[in-house]
Amino acid sequence: MRRARPLLGTFVDVSVDGGAADDMTAAVEAAFAAVGKVHRLMSFHDPASDVGRLNRDAAAVAIAVDPWTHEVITAAVDLNRRSNGLFDITVAPALQRLGLLPGSPPADAPSPIAGDAIEVLGDHRIRFRRAGTRIDLGGIAKGFAIDRAVAVLRAHGVPHGVVDAGGDLAAFGAVAAPIHIRDPRNPCRSIARIAIANEALASSGGRLDPFASSNAAAPAVIDARTGTPACGIVGATVRAPSCMVADALTKVVMNAGEDASALLDDLRASALLVRSDGDIRVSPSWRDSRAA
Amino acid sequence: MPDWKSWTAPAAAVVSITSSAHAVQYLSIPEAQKLAFPSATSFVETQPGRAWKAEAGGRVIGLFVFDRVIGKHLFIDYAVALDPGGRVVRVEILQYRESYGGEVRGAGWLAQFVGKSRQSPLEFNKDIRNISGATLSSMHITEGVKRVLTAFGGGSR
Repeated sequence: MRRARPLLGTFVDVSVDGGAADDMTAAVEAAFAAVGKVHRLMSFHDPASDVGRLNRDAAAVAIAVDPWTHEVITAAVDLNRRSNGLFDITVAPALQRLGLLPGSPPADAPSPIAGDAIEVLGDHRIRFRRAGTRIDLGGIAKGFAIDRAVAVLRAHGVPHGVVDAGGDLAAFGAVAAPIHIRDPRNPCRSIARIAIANEALASSGGRLDPFASSNAAAPAVIDARTGTPACGIVGATVRAPSCMVADALTKVVMNAGEDASALLDDLRASALLVRSDGDIRVSPSWRDSRAA
Repeated sequence: MPDWKSWTAPAAAVVSITSSAHAVQYLSIPEAQKLAFPSATSFVETQPGRAWKAEAGGRVIGLFVFDRVIGKHLFIDYAVALDPGGRVVRVEILQYRESYGGEVRGAGWLAQFVGKSRQSPLEFNKDIRNISGATLSSMHITEGVKRVLTAFGGGSR
C-alpha cells in the first residue's frame, strides 16, 4: 500500500507492506497525522506555530512549546554543540537575507556564530538569550517528522515500510528498500543504488525542482560560521539510525566535509559526499550495501 | 582515525534515469473518494470526471474534486476534499508521473492546505512555504488548489 500527501512543503510518500489492508490504512492515516502535527508545530511560516511563537516572543519571555518541539530544539542545541556551531537553527536571519525564507531579518539579528543563543528550560519551555534571534527547524524537523511517522507505523504493527519526504527517508522492518542517490550535479543521473533497512537516509545539495528545470539550483545550506552558502561540496548523503540525525548531519557534512568524521562516528552515522570537482568520497564506516 | 575513501561507482550503477517515464499510482478516484469520506453512502457526479458530491443518508457531507497539475517534467493527479462549508479537508495524491524514472526519490514540492477556504485565500509566501525554503514547484499545486477553491469552494449546498 502506498499513499502520498502534500506536507512539510514536500511530497510525503508512505509505503507499507506485510499487514492486513484495513490495519495498514489506519496506520498510514495515523502516520500522516503525525507528520501533519510536526508541520503545524514547526513551520517557520505560520505565526501560530511553536516556531512562529518562539521567533516572536522567546527573546522576551520563556515560551512553553509542545513536547515534540522541545525534543527537536533540544537535539538541535546538542548538535550545535557537538558540531562546534556548524549545525545551527539560528541561521534563519541569514536565510531571510538570501531570500530562502520569507520576511526581512530583524535589524538586531545576532551573528549566527552565537552558539549559546537558545536556553532549553524545564516544563517544555524555551528562551532565546538575545533579541533578534530567529530559528528555522527546516534542517531537522523533516527528519523528525519521518521518525515520528515510522514510530506510528511500527506501533500499529506494520511489518515493514518506507517513509519518504522529498528524498529524506527511513526504512523499517525486515525488507531492505532499494534507494537511488541522485547525482547532485545532474539529477537525471543516479550515482549509487543502495539498500537500506532499519535506518534513515537524508541528502542535501542541489535543490531539484522537477517542474522548472532539470538543473540543480543553488544549495540551501548555509555555513553557520559565515552566514553564506556552503561551497566546495555539491552534495551530501548521510545514513544514520534516525532521520532527524541524518537530516541535521547533511548540513554539517556539506560544510565540514571530511572533518565531520568524528561527529559521524559519535552518532553512528556515515556519509557520502560529492565534491565540486566530481570526486565522490565515503566516510570510513559507509557500508557498501549496494542493492542488486 | 581512518580516512575517507574515494568511491567509484561501478559503471552499472551510474545509470541515466531519464530514459523511461515513471508513474506511481497511489489511488484510483473511487478509492480516494472512500478514503476522504468514509461515511459517504454515494458520490454524485456533478461535473463529469471532475467533481462529486459526497452524500450520506441523502445529506451532502462534502465535495470531492479531481485535478491535475502539469509541469515541465511531470504530471500530478490529485484530489481535494472539501467540507460542506468549502474548507479543504484533505489533499491526496492519486498519481504521480515523472521523467526521472525508477525508484528515484527526491522530487521536492508542495505544502499544506487543510483548513483553507475561498475566504482565506492561499498565499504562496505566507501559507505555503516549505519548512526549509520552498521550491518553485510548490506554486503549481498552490495555484491548483486555489483554482479548485475558486471553482468549488463556495460551499456545496
